[in-house]
Amino acid sequence: MNEPFRIDAGALRTRPKTDTTADLKAVDRAGEAQGFVAREPRRGGRKPSPRTGQVHAKVLPHVRDELLEEATRRGVTQGVLIEEAWALYRKHASGS
Amino acid sequence: MPTIVIASPKGGAGKSTTAVVLGTELARAGAQVTLMDCDPNGSLSLWATRAPVPTRMSLESGITESEIVRRIRRAEADGAVVVVDLEGVASRLVSRAISQADLVITPMRATTLDATIGVRALHLVAEEEEALDRHIRHAVVFTMTRAIRSKQHKGIETSLREQGVDVIMPGLMERAAYSALFEFGGNLETLPPQGNIAAARDEAGRFARAVYDRLVAEEAVA
Repeated sequence: MNEPFRIDAGALRTRPKTDTTADLKAVDRAGEAQGFVAREPRRGGRKPSPRTGQVHAKVLPHVRDELLEEATRRGVTQGVLIEEAWALYRKHASGS
Repeated sequence: MPTIVIASPKGGAGKSTTAVVLGTELARAGAQVTLMDCDPNGSLSLWATRAPVPTRMSLESGITESEIVRRIRRAEADGAVVVVDLEGVASRLVSRAISQADLVITPMRATTLDATIGVRALHLVAEEEEALDRHIRHAVVFTMTRAIRSKQHKGIETSLREQGVDVIMPGLMERAAYSALFEFGGNLETLPPQGNIAAARDEAGRFARAVYDRLVAEEAVA
């Protein structure tokens, strides 16, 4: 059997490194300057409104079109329709 | 324990082969080794399914850019030499892994294309050194080399050396034994005879020794 060299584990040390947020940002900037950019998919969807906490539900295109048409006809937002639909659902589910 | 990052934005440069050869040889030499498979192709994970992972070795996979720094630091703290195999693209995962490296190895075939794209990794290391205000040791290893070096190989190597780039000797020749690691798993000692297996074992051992020498050199921990 081919005997390998032997490692002196005591001689193996790691250098002092940093993982602070500021240093990570600096690393990201350095990477981006060389074309090393974020390539992992981000979580989809818009973030909740910072003012009202309102979220933006994803619906199929034809549902979106119908919601938009009805909201325009009534002069309300699409969110109002969804809230009304939810109230109906709750009423139906509770049986009252 | 130190971290060795195998990085090149060029696909097919020999990163996974370098990682497995280096990791298995360091483990044979007595080190606890953690391999990190950060390549979506999962080459190291494939290697690990072929046979039981050799003694003193472990494999981690499925590592994202938001986790890489924490995972490296945890493995280091556990007393393992960490060998990180990165994907062959220019990504944030690569730049973050390099920020935690004690040694960056850029494998490249002796072609103009590999050298041109591989040098981007060296530029990134230089950029991060400036950003972090610390020296990050880096080196190039030629992979899939031939017994007789071509003019192109000699030219590229000379050019790199003239620019102050550290070139690890020996390089890793194109060998059936290295390819077979991904078919049979394990290490070069457990591998069924493939091609000139004795030469492969000798070369791999000398390569790992050359890497080890760089890790323990004074300037590496200065």
